[in-house]
Formats: sequence, structure tokens, C-alpha cells
Amino acid sequence: MDAVFSGLASGFEVALDPFNLFLVLAGCFAGTLIGALPGIGPINGVAILLPIAYGLGFKPESAIILLAGIYYGAEYGGRISSILLNVPGDAGAVMTTLDGNPMARNGEAGKALSLSAIASFVGGTFAVVLMSFFGPALASYAIHFSPSDYVALMVFAFASLASLVGSNPVKTLLAAVIGLMLASIGIDANTGVARFTFGIPDILAGIDFLVVVIGLFGMAELIHLVEQQAAGTLKTLKIDKSFVTMKDLAFVKWTILRGSMIGFFIGILPGTGASVASAVAYGAEKRAARDSSKFGEGDMRGLAAPEAANNASAGGAMVPMLTLGIPGSGTTAILLGALLLFNVTPGPLMFQQRPEIAWGLIASMYIGNVALLIINLPLVGLFARMLTIPQQFLTPLIAVLAFIGVYSVVSNPHDLYMITLLGVFGWFLRKLQFSLAPVILGFVLGGLFEDNLRRALSISGGDWSILLTSWNSVILYILALLVIVVPIVVGRMRRSRGEDESPKAPA
Amino acid sequence: MADRIFAGVLLVVAIGYTIIAFTVIHAPFQYDPLGPESWPRILGLVAIPCILFILARPDVASLGLPAKTWGRLAALVVMLFGYSYLFQPLGFIIATFAFCMALSLMLGAKLVPALAFSAGIGVVGYFLCTKLLELNLPAGVLTIFR
Repeated sequence: MDAVFSGLASGFEVALDPFNLFLVLAGCFAGTLIGALPGIGPINGVAILLPIAYGLGFKPESAIILLAGIYYGAEYGGRISSILLNVPGDAGAVMTTLDGNPMARNGEAGKALSLSAIASFVGGTFAVVLMSFFGPALASYAIHFSPSDYVALMVFAFASLASLVGSNPVKTLLAAVIGLMLASIGIDANTGVARFTFGIPDILAGIDFLVVVIGLFGMAELIHLVEQQAAGTLKTLKIDKSFVTMKDLAFVKWTILRGSMIGFFIGILPGTGASVASAVAYGAEKRAARDSSKFGEGDMRGLAAPEAANNASAGGAMVPMLTLGIPGSGTTAILLGALLLFNVTPGPLMFQQRPEIAWGLIASMYIGNVALLIINLPLVGLFARMLTIPQQFLTPLIAVLAFIGVYSVVSNPHDLYMITLLGVFGWFLRKLQFSLAPVILGFVLGGLFEDNLRRALSISGGDWSILLTSWNSVILYILALLVIVVPIVVGRMRRSRGEDESPKAPA
Repeated sequence: MADRIFAGVLLVVAIGYTIIAFTVIHAPFQYDPLGPESWPRILGLVAIPCILFILARPDVASLGLPAKTWGRLAALVVMLFGYSYLFQPLGFIIATFAFCMALSLMLGAKLVPALAFSAGIGVVGYFLCTKLLELNLPAGVLTIFR
């Protein structure tokens, strides 16, 4: 417990450094702006801005603080386009539109925005507090993980990914394998053997992480926007004078707490981020409500639950990333990749070896959440202006940002073609209902997965039974099995009783 | 159908990947029991059944896009390749100006706002990035700005 408080104190020292403090605020502000743009969610925002943040040459803790600020800022901002436009910025904000937009149409736009800001704040803060206590405990447990335990952990991560994300488990699994395959391109670090490079010098060192992220998220998003071609501006609802009251807050306080709790724990599960968390929280709230008839027509509970959950899951997803080196969501996979670019390997040792990064990040999230609440209540009108940026200008801007980012870091024109090709590939994956988050998870984890497997088998001299020797790994394999089997069984039982299936998150 | 075509292409790639993993990749001296070839073999052997499953039970019948949309997307990809091609030789300012003009006009912007927007992004973007943020962007033919 003492370690937590002394860690937090050292973290605040980092986060309150004037420059880092400025980055927290700048990141939150930029994140909210990006999140408020229709159609652009946290993952695209972080992807597009990652190379630029990297190119600025900050210290790793400063860069990660900035990127994390953009991440949860965008989770906040996403609700603005959901409520006022009925256009969710990403899959995690879909549930917010269900009751948020009807509230705005009923003339309660101001109330919906302020209520969701407070729900987001509670969810986010709840998650950071739990993270401060859970993180170090999990890290000190995971320090004893052997390579074979890591292999089991990875299997569990991909199992929960396949079972909980996307509409088709086989497609999700395949998406993850595609990511792993992309990661296997390049020179094998252990033996120096080139794999799948076909003699092309540009990919000897492997495909650059930045290129994959920008291509699959930034460029694919761009192609998607052109496909939708919303010419001109979308019609936004006006923000009115209504505001959330203490009575409203008292009415939804348990909803917010339940949503935060659900969001945090779903966020921790590897691979399952805001989209699953908000869907589960919404479904649970609807089932728990005594009178659920108004859900979908502007019920405050239906707005508060998913908003609290998706911000809590953003915090929850950071826990496995920081402590195990296994990202809890697509966006944290990008953050993990960002840390790797700085030669920082997140994992159980990070709390001891690089406390300024681990604790600095956690402390910055406390500050960021408060800052977001403060800038979101009065400035919501300013952010709502972002919704009126004409699409025909926003779309080219995304391409320009992507090009600046890739070129300024790598300075290789070859990579510009690469992001375009990956963008086309990513767009096809999206159109065919593959989710992209597993691809990036697979890509980030590919090296780690292979290294641990090879290390484990080196230890055992090629005997595969080492994978099943420790209790940690056996339990993880059982959990992996459960996470696949339970949803299938529950689904069957529901169907046989003739109930609706619970809302499955789009990814 | 769309699913099947895409899965078919993926299948060809995955089979190629697996064949290479089984035949070409080989370490001159085996340092560890698995070597560089086992991991890609495992991946290939997981990917192929997944793709076969999708081939057998596709769930997206067609992309459902009208021909006009396909034309627009093709134009976008051409523009992006053009932008990539010209980015370094012409320099950021001119290439960005041309790309922004082309794309915003295609998306239905009026001529004058598009001109103002494209010139603004090109010039302001260049100086913001190179002078203020100290990022590396190509000056291209406008060598005086280097």
C-alpha cells in the first residue's frame, strides 16, 4: 500500500512538471476535438497523431502522457457527435447514441451533454483509482511469469478477443493471425534469417509499426469517409440551456457506478475495449431497470451507463498494457507500440525500472480526468463547432496528417505507398466485417508471442509439455477455454428460452 | 460472394506464406529448438483453416456499393498514389496543394473555398511543421524554403 502512495507521489512529480502538465492539457483538448469529429474515434485519432508525437522528439514519458491524453480525451469527445449528430465516432460510442440522441431531440441536449460529461468523469476516475491499486499488485505477481506462462497469457488474450469482439469469431481470429503474420516479416532477431522479405531492402527490418497503424486506421478511415461521402455539413442539434441537476445525478448514481465497474473489468480483459464494455453496461442497465420502457427514447440511465463504462474501460485497458505488456484494447495496442518505439518495454518490470513512465502516466490520468471535466462543461459549444467542419475539407486533412506523420518519422517515400496499400487492405477488412483492432493487437504482440514460445522451448530443449507445467499457465488455458465456451452456451440457452440475444458489440 | 473472393485471395497468400515457411526459411545453424521457421508454420496452419471456414460459410454477400462509389474510391486511390509519388520531388507545399484541391473538389467543395483551404494547408502546414514543430518535410522544388 505504501508503495502505491509513494509511487503516486513520484508520478505526480512527473505529471506536474510544467511541460508535462501542458501536454496533458493539450492532449485532452486535442483528443476531445478529434473525438468530436464525426466518424473519427479514439483509435483513429491516436493512430493519426502517433507519428507526429513521436517525431517531436519528446522524452518517452512526455510522449506517452500526450498520447494517453488524446486517447481518453477522444473517449470524452466521442459523446458529442453521438448526442448531437447521432453519428458515433467509433464502435465504443454506438451505445451512447441510443439514448443520448433522443434526449437531445427532446430538447435536453445540454442536459445530455453535461450528464454524460459527469458520467465519463466518474467512470474515468474510478478506473484510474482502481488502476493505481491493481496495477502494481498485478505487476508484482506477473514478475514471476515464465516464458511459458506468457504463452498461455497470449493464448488467453487471443481467445477472449475471438470470443468477445466482432460479429464472427473466425474472422476475428483470422484478423489477429493476419496481424501476427505481418509481424513475422523481416529479419528474425534470434538467427538473422530474413523471412518473407523477397529481397526488398525496405522491409528487411520488418514493416514499421507506424506504417501499419497509419495505414490500417488512418488511411482506411479516410477511404471509408470518401465512400460514405457526406457532402456538406451534417445537421447538428442545437445545444440548449438545459443542464444536469443534482436530482438527475442522484437518480443515476448507481447506474454510473455499475457502468464504471463493468467498464473497468471488461477493459482489463485483453483485447476487449470500449465497444464491448459500453454494450454490456447498457444491456445490464436495461435488464436491471424496473421500468425499461423508456430505454432508447431518451432515458438518462441509458446514456449514463455506456458513457461511464467506455471511459472506465479506457483506464481498465491500460492495466494489462502497463503491467503485463498485453494491451487491453486496440487503442492501448497502439500506445504499447508507441512505448516500444521509445525502446521502453511495458511489462511487470516497468513499475520498478521505469517508474517515471508507469506512475507518471497514471498520475497524468488523474489530472487529465479533472481537466476534461472542467473543459467539457463550459466549452462543449466550442467542441460542437467541430461538427460543422465540412467533410470535403476534413477528409483531405486526414490524408495530409497521415503523410506528414509517416514522412517526418521515416523519410522514406516507399512508406507512403505502403500506407495507401495497407489503407485499401484495411478498408476491405472493414467492409467484410473483420475488425481491425485484432490485427493491430496481433501485430504488436507477434514478436512477444514468438519470442516467449521460442524461449520456453529452448528452456525445455524442445519439449512442448513445458507449456503446461505451471499452475499459472494451466489456469490461463482453462480461462481461455471458458471465455470461448461460456458465451456459446449462454447464447444457446437464451435462444432456447426464446429471449433476445444480448447486444453484441460491433468492433 | 465478396467474402469468398477476398477469402480466396487471402487463401492464396496464406498458402504461399506457409509453403515459404516450410521450404525456404531455414537457419544455417539451429540456435533454438524452434528456429525461425516454426512460428510462421504455426501461423500458416492456423490461418488456412480459418480462411477455409470463411470460404465455406461466408457472411457478407456483397459490398453493396454502386458503380459511382467504386469510381470515387478508385479516383481516391489514384490521387493518393499521385500524392505519394509527387510528395518528395515536388515538395510538401505543392504536392499537398494539388492533392487537397483534387480531393476536396471531388467531394463537392466550391472552387474558391477549396483554393483557400488547399493553399492554407500547404503553406501554413509546412511552416507549422518544419519551423514550429521541427518535423522533417520535403521542400522539393521550392528550395528557398529549405
